[in-house]
Amino acid sequence: MGMGKYLLIRIINALIVLSIVTLVVSALFVKMAEKDLENRIQELVNSEYQSLLQQNKAPSDPEKWREERIAYYKHQFKLDRPYWWRVLYYAKRTILLDFGNTRIPIFGTERNVKNIISLALPRTILLFTTAQIIVIIIGLLLGVKAAQKVGSLFDRTLSILALITTSIPMWWFGMMMLLIFAFKLGWFPANSMPDPNLTGLAHVLDVAKRLVLPVTTIVFVLFGGWAWVTRNIMIGTMQEDFIMAARAKGVPERKVIYGHALRAAAPPIVTMTIFSLLGSLGGAIITESVFNWPGMGRVYWIAIQTNEINLVMGLTFISVALYLIGVIIADISYGFLDPRVRVGASASM
Amino acid sequence: MVRWVDLKDSLSNFWFEFKRQKTGILGVLLLIFWILVAIGAPYITEPDIPEKWRSIWIEYPKTVPPTWVGIFSGVSEAPQYVVPPEELQKYVRVEGTKVIVDIPYNMKYDVPPQDIVIMGISGNSTHKRLKPSLTLKVLRPDGEEITLVSGLKIKGTTNIQVARDSSVRKTVINWVKQKTGIQLDPTKEFQLVTTLDTLKVVFAKLSPDMLDNPQALKGEYHIILEIKTPKGTSVDLSNTKLILTGRTYGYLGTDDKGRDLFAGIVWGSRVSLTIGIATAVLTVLVGIFYGVAAAYFGGWTDELMMRFQEFMASIPSLPILILLGTYFGGHIQLWQIVLLLTVFGWVGIARVARSMAYQIKEQTYVEAAIALGAGTGRIIFKHMVPQLLPYAFAQMALNVPSAVLSEASLSFLGLGDPTQVTWGQILHDAQNAGAAVNGYWWWVIPPGLAIALVALTFVLLGTALDRVLNPRLRRL
Repeated sequence: MGMGKYLLIRIINALIVLSIVTLVVSALFVKMAEKDLENRIQELVNSEYQSLLQQNKAPSDPEKWREERIAYYKHQFKLDRPYWWRVLYYAKRTILLDFGNTRIPIFGTERNVKNIISLALPRTILLFTTAQIIVIIIGLLLGVKAAQKVGSLFDRTLSILALITTSIPMWWFGMMMLLIFAFKLGWFPANSMPDPNLTGLAHVLDVAKRLVLPVTTIVFVLFGGWAWVTRNIMIGTMQEDFIMAARAKGVPERKVIYGHALRAAAPPIVTMTIFSLLGSLGGAIITESVFNWPGMGRVYWIAIQTNEINLVMGLTFISVALYLIGVIIADISYGFLDPRVRVGASASM
Repeated sequence: MVRWVDLKDSLSNFWFEFKRQKTGILGVLLLIFWILVAIGAPYITEPDIPEKWRSIWIEYPKTVPPTWVGIFSGVSEAPQYVVPPEELQKYVRVEGTKVIVDIPYNMKYDVPPQDIVIMGISGNSTHKRLKPSLTLKVLRPDGEEITLVSGLKIKGTTNIQVARDSSVRKTVINWVKQKTGIQLDPTKEFQLVTTLDTLKVVFAKLSPDMLDNPQALKGEYHIILEIKTPKGTSVDLSNTKLILTGRTYGYLGTDDKGRDLFAGIVWGSRVSLTIGIATAVLTVLVGIFYGVAAAYFGGWTDELMMRFQEFMASIPSLPILILLGTYFGGHIQLWQIVLLLTVFGWVGIARVARSMAYQIKEQTYVEAAIALGAGTGRIIFKHMVPQLLPYAFAQMALNVPSAVLSEASLSFLGLGDPTQVTWGQILHDAQNAGAAVNGYWWWVIPPGLAIALVALTFVLLGTALDRVLNPRLRRL
């Protein structure tokens, strides 16, 4: 199976998953939205009636008028259509990224769900990629170091640290960071919302300063586990025959580790990176809301607190789509890095 | 048939191996600790905490730190002091138509209590206008006496709180003026009437600056209730209790609703352990049986089952869980959380179980069993699943932390079960109250530590089990 064909199959697979998830989610959504809309229709008709009363244009038969108006709005909101039709309709709208509006504006005056997400997503990506790059660098270095000296004090400390940090809820660690560095020491601002009055370099510095605490939180909680994975993969590779051969022919140890072993260990490490990145996205999103970082996590928090169904729907769709893109990238990179692989990387997950 | 001797032998072998895993032993000790806490919750605290948790705890101080902080800060702040009804009866005496309750209170702290609260005084009257009337006085160690409340008519069951009452503040300010002879300008006095920390002044040494900078006067105080009961009226003190609201509370302080955080932490262990263990066991069972079934049937069934597994694996669980949480009306009940976490959790285990089961299926004894005409169920349950049990046990322990963390995350987002006390919800309330930014450390640190400690317990157990039960996977 060639690379192109393999890629095509993976993408088709992801699209199928995405559309099934969208359908299921739409089915839930339509059920939720129905009650919401019915309440809204009641409110609309009531307020209309009140304003007519005030203008002394009250309808002669209020009951009949009311029924007519309700029927009109039901038609407007497509509540008169059968359930499955509405599910398909919403699924289609969702795939075309049309999620409707929220009731209360978020991020100032924005009410369009698509615009809210397109505002929040880059911020999440900025925070998350910054943190993840640091995690990967630290994790790789420490992991390789530990693999070199298996059983040493350094190795054991790292293992224990990895055990402990994987047990910590990331968002709670964020609260602790706030408690120590924002409240007790006052080194960093407690609110991550960037100052809107700053422009240019001052703006960049402001954002950077506000990024410090969230990034540190994510890095601290993730780097241990990451180093541990690297260590284990490296240990496996270091026992391979070609490493012994390289050592035997007198290649310097440094070159053996970084040139031969790390290169051979790269495919699983890269895949693990992408999957751990995807896996930690959830925790990172919740962590965002702790710091008031105005990204996806913050929007999620607001959406749940204010019961904004349209927004939850949009966020869910985007998150699932992003996750699937990540899975495809993991598969492709595995295929590129390891020529032996014929089946997707997710096969081993 | 599994013989008892074999079982005993393998168990003792297992224990011999396990004993050498130091982290595993630590895990076992921690697990025993958590089980004791979870079972003992009603006895360690009160049995009705989950119901009580949803209400506001009127008698308790709001967002106060634990009592032991005084040891570190050097400033001892008064803890909560309650005189329950039975004890209160000892201080009651009747003088003619007057009922006098004289409660001694030894104030030995640098900061006096926040408030004096009297709960559940009920007055009865058969007369039209006459009602029992109450006067509240504090007799100080220096012989001075302050009347905080005088002639308060008691109708039905009444609760009395003095610290935030502006007329009590006025009385106290006037008393200070009279005793020390200081003059106050009207704006200052007006400000004091709305902001004065009344009890700090009541329990302070007499001095001209006692309004601005009260120094606590330590010693034996008497809190005196005088209730006049004119003819035809009576007062019932059988349910009355006196509370001196603390500046600190208990082992872990209170939150903004006055709830005792220690009780919350203790009760939260139940939810955390139940969810963690139930989810892990269910997840692993589903995963193992799914994998084994796929491997046993093979061919098209295997292909189909693995496609479905892949489909489930490529769905990110948290967004879907959040969506389902909103679908269930913003709250997911405990069993629903267990179910949902299982639905999204079994996929990884199923894949490993399948590849392990494929190897077992190739073994000659399975072939022999098939040749002997053993049924599907017999082969799967008798010959294949038992081989996977070691892997399953280690995985169960290793799956608890992620379940515990997921439940905590959902609760933290406000999607938890409202009828339960959970650590995630305590942290949710803390986040809503800005606890981290306001420095309420006693509200933020313990629940998170508890979550981390439960997760760590099972990580330790799981890795130790993994090393003992799956020696092939043993790392260097």
